Amino acid sequence: MSIDARAPSATPSRSHPSRRAPEGGSAGERTLNVFSHAFLVLWTVLALVPLLWAVLTAFKSDREIFTSPWSLPTEWHVENFVRAWTTANIGRYFLNSAIVVCAAVVLVMLLGAMVAYVLARYEFRGRDVIYYTFVAGMTFPIFLALVPLFFVVQNVGMLGTYHGLILVYTAYALPFTVFFLTSFFRTLPGALVEAAMLDGCSHAGAFFKIMLPLARPGMISVGILNFLGLWNQFLLPLVLMPDDDKYVLSQGLAVLAANQGYRSDWSALFAGLVIALLPVLAVYIAFQRRIQDGLNVGAMK
Amino acid sequence: MHYGKYRFVASFLAVPLLLYIVFVISPYAQAFYISMTDWSGFSADRNFIGLGNYAELLSDARFWRAMWHNIALLIVVPLVTLGIALFLATMTTVAGRRGMVGRGGVRGSRFYQVVFFFPHVVPLVIAGILFAFFYNPQAGLLNGMLRLVGFEWLTRPWLGDTTFALPAVMGVLIWVYVGFYYVVFSAAMKSLPTDVFEAAVLDGAGRFRTFVSLTVPMITDSIKTSYIYLGILMLDGFALLQVMLPDGGPDGSTEVVAQYLYRAAFTEGRFGYASAIGVMLCLVTLVLAIVVLRMGRRDRVEF
Amino acid sequence: MTPPHRSALDRRQFLRRLAAAGLLAVPGAGVLSACATSGGGPTTSVEGEVSAQNPLGVAADAGLDVVIFNGGYGDEYALYHQDMYRKRYPEAEVSHTATTQIAQEMQPRFVAGNPPDVLDDSGAQKIEYATLVSEGQLSDLAPLLDAPSWDDPNVKVRDTLLPGVVEQGTFGDQFLILNYVYETFAMWYSKPLFEQRGWAVPTTWDELMAVCEQIKAEGVAPFAYGGTNAADYVLDLNLGAAIKQGGLDVVRNIDNLEPGSWTQDTVVAATEGLQEMVAKGYFMPGSEGLKHTEAQTAWTQGEAAFYVSGSWLENEMKGIAPPDFGMAMAPVPVLDSSSAMPATALRTQPAEAFLVPSRAKNVNGGMEYLRLMLSKEGAGKFAELTASVPGVKGATEGIKKTPALESLSAGLDAAGDDVFTWQFRTWYSPYSQLLKTELGNLLAGRTDAPGFLAAMQAETDRLAADANVTKYSR
Repeated sequence: MSIDARAPSATPSRSHPSRRAPEGGSAGERTLNVFSHAFLVLWTVLALVPLLWAVLTAFKSDREIFTSPWSLPTEWHVENFVRAWTTANIGRYFLNSAIVVCAAVVLVMLLGAMVAYVLARYEFRGRDVIYYTFVAGMTFPIFLALVPLFFVVQNVGMLGTYHGLILVYTAYALPFTVFFLTSFFRTLPGALVEAAMLDGCSHAGAFFKIMLPLARPGMISVGILNFLGLWNQFLLPLVLMPDDDKYVLSQGLAVLAANQGYRSDWSALFAGLVIALLPVLAVYIAFQRRIQDGLNVGAMK
Repeated sequence: MHYGKYRFVASFLAVPLLLYIVFVISPYAQAFYISMTDWSGFSADRNFIGLGNYAELLSDARFWRAMWHNIALLIVVPLVTLGIALFLATMTTVAGRRGMVGRGGVRGSRFYQVVFFFPHVVPLVIAGILFAFFYNPQAGLLNGMLRLVGFEWLTRPWLGDTTFALPAVMGVLIWVYVGFYYVVFSAAMKSLPTDVFEAAVLDGAGRFRTFVSLTVPMITDSIKTSYIYLGILMLDGFALLQVMLPDGGPDGSTEVVAQYLYRAAFTEGRFGYASAIGVMLCLVTLVLAIVVLRMGRRDRVEF
Repeated sequence: MTPPHRSALDRRQFLRRLAAAGLLAVPGAGVLSACATSGGGPTTSVEGEVSAQNPLGVAADAGLDVVIFNGGYGDEYALYHQDMYRKRYPEAEVSHTATTQIAQEMQPRFVAGNPPDVLDDSGAQKIEYATLVSEGQLSDLAPLLDAPSWDDPNVKVRDTLLPGVVEQGTFGDQFLILNYVYETFAMWYSKPLFEQRGWAVPTTWDELMAVCEQIKAEGVAPFAYGGTNAADYVLDLNLGAAIKQGGLDVVRNIDNLEPGSWTQDTVVAATEGLQEMVAKGYFMPGSEGLKHTEAQTAWTQGEAAFYVSGSWLENEMKGIAPPDFGMAMAPVPVLDSSSAMPATALRTQPAEAFLVPSRAKNVNGGMEYLRLMLSKEGAGKFAELTASVPGVKGATEGIKKTPALESLSAGLDAAGDDVFTWQFRTWYSPYSQLLKTELGNLLAGRTDAPGFLAAMQAETDRLAADANVTKYSR
């Protein structure tokens, strides 16, 4: 079995007529087809409508949001965005989030892959204990650990620091990363590694030069998911980042949202939300193509 | 080689484990200890009371009611979410154009791949607010659309209705999480070998058959992992419910364990008791993880 | 080649390994778990010299740490108060924090023994007062009460306060919490709308039913409420009417957790009246699925006539209510003309709890800050910025009043000394959620008056019998 480096699967079928099943398939197949496509479209609508609505709402005045929630704004109140940016400090929070989350994702993917690799492919005493310790870490509700965590972080002198939050983010993202990557690493074939080691490659070398590249699809998806999870994490920074100029974005938004219970500046909330979401969406869309190609390096045989 | 292996393993594990123990294990362990005290959470005094909190917990009707709500979430949401995610992933990665099963997705897959993830980018807190508007009995989109198509009798005060409040929240959870698992399953399906699919097509298998007999078995590991992770999220579910229904919903029909825990910890000044609730939750979750992991291990497909 | 399967573990082996994983992190093991909850020893607060200008003995150079709940009243007034403090003590460094997550942000500080000097403990995420009180975390504010007032050294602070403020903040025999805002609870409506439609503001229950019928016939909902998070607002309608009808003993019995307190005659009668309103459809349909902000919005758009709420309402709806709404308040009706209290009586509950933690570094400074909040200047500024009434006499004189504040002041004048409060909600935290759930059930038609009252009585009896709950009485 060889590595298949075939081009992305967009090659049209017409060049291989002999491989085509009977045109259109059976009647059952056709109805399934129609329903399937209909569902795809439906889900697209469901996915997009709330977000589009949020964007539209961000341009409305408070009164309009409630009196005519489903119509286009009569005036496009761009000042909502200005208000969200300045009073809600969205710009600064965005930067803070970017710093902390990017660093944490890089760190956790590296460390998580190292742990997952070792757990998946090596036998040693205590391996299962370590694995279950990580699994267990996912199961406890996070806000119970908040108070003890505050003191631990304070005791190591990292309260209110970027590096402190990065390390804590990494630690809390490790269970999920290890959990997913371990099962992923288990499915990768070991033939190449064995061959390399026979040729004198070290364990670490095998990991970095062979296994990591092979694991790209899994690493990329877990990486994205980690990025999002950490981007939207707000309980940890709430406790560990008390200075409001170091707030991360999710924290800022959560505070803004909490304020809705008391003061109704809905328009700034929606504007803030849009400001927060659009860059992430834009990055995702841009990065998406890279992911596509990365994920299309073809299957292992 | 032997000693080299252990040294390698140790070196790879050292830093991550250290981080993990200091910042995750140690606080949780302390929380575990706290669960055996009567700490109120607002001063430095506490008395060790052993398993007193747990005894109280076992006979606490409100706790069990909340647990029941979590179980309802646990049963319904993963089933629907993973089902939809599997379907979407199949259609856009391996279902292929007419007849060409196994090579790429249907027309428009690239577009779908981008869009389907969007809901997951929205933080739960915000999704809660958006959907609260959606469910507004007078001005909300749901009832508005029902009225538009003449289904006035179907309209409800969704979040205020004892039967529909929890399903309404489930809807939001599904909306948010499908995107996440869609990405996971897409990645898994993209790593599958295409020659198996080609063989199937040659044998005349249609989409559905391929899906059931080929795709699913080959990504079982992914499905199991996803189920556990989503199941854990359902058992720990807090943020969304707290935003949409902070007081337990109509007649307490939506309060989940995490909300009860939060209330005990921060409003009623019973941090010790709350920690005990947390430990119970942790145990239930572990049981779930173990059960699912051990299930069907024999059926794993090797390739 | 794939890695070998994990050997099938038998259950015992598996559980043993799990236990081993758990025991990996026993507390006390390891260098880094310096016991997280190291509450400090007794903190001594700084003191300065007592003088005529400085009756509380504030240290002039000590810092002041103020934490404000950033809710309906915002925090602008606090910045002003802090400026006042700085003018008096220019060497003091005053720090200001505004947040909505009071419990989560303050909890670690209380545990570590370094709470702020002044805390505005309010909002949905507040720390329950009963908890702080029972843990001895609050300073006794008696020195504040006995100190001379900011404006007139011949008058004690105690005598500048409106009736009920001292009582509301007293637990046992200590005055521990200064409830700054004199919140009034009433039925709110749009005066221009009522005048235009010729609807009469009711003073008795019969009049209420009559005007509701009239309003409903014109296609407007008589009342709206926020079913998903604020059903308990409507308690003012039935319990309020019951208290006005039967007199202060009615509420005292309930506060004191007496058996049968929830089945007193007037309480039953009023709750049955409420049930009748539900049955006749006087509450806006769909209310049970609304948040309070949504219900209030519908009300400001004229979809409902009355809304039962506290006096923060106008401030909360700023920017949403149309500028000509003309918000006005009407006291909750009495059951009939033989009521013990006049129809103008009001429930005025001092709220917005300001407290000085007992472990604060600058207790005297904290009390001084409260003292200046109660000055004419401090209170007046608050009233001006928030359109609310601080609990100090004469605070709203001479300031520009919004419609609701105008109506509120007039209503308070009319009520005079006929004001009442209830304490059971402050003293016993379980009532909060219970009321929201059960009143929600009653208003949605899921239960009836006897059912509601039985549920309330059951909880009352349970609390009375529970030895772990600290009891208060009035």
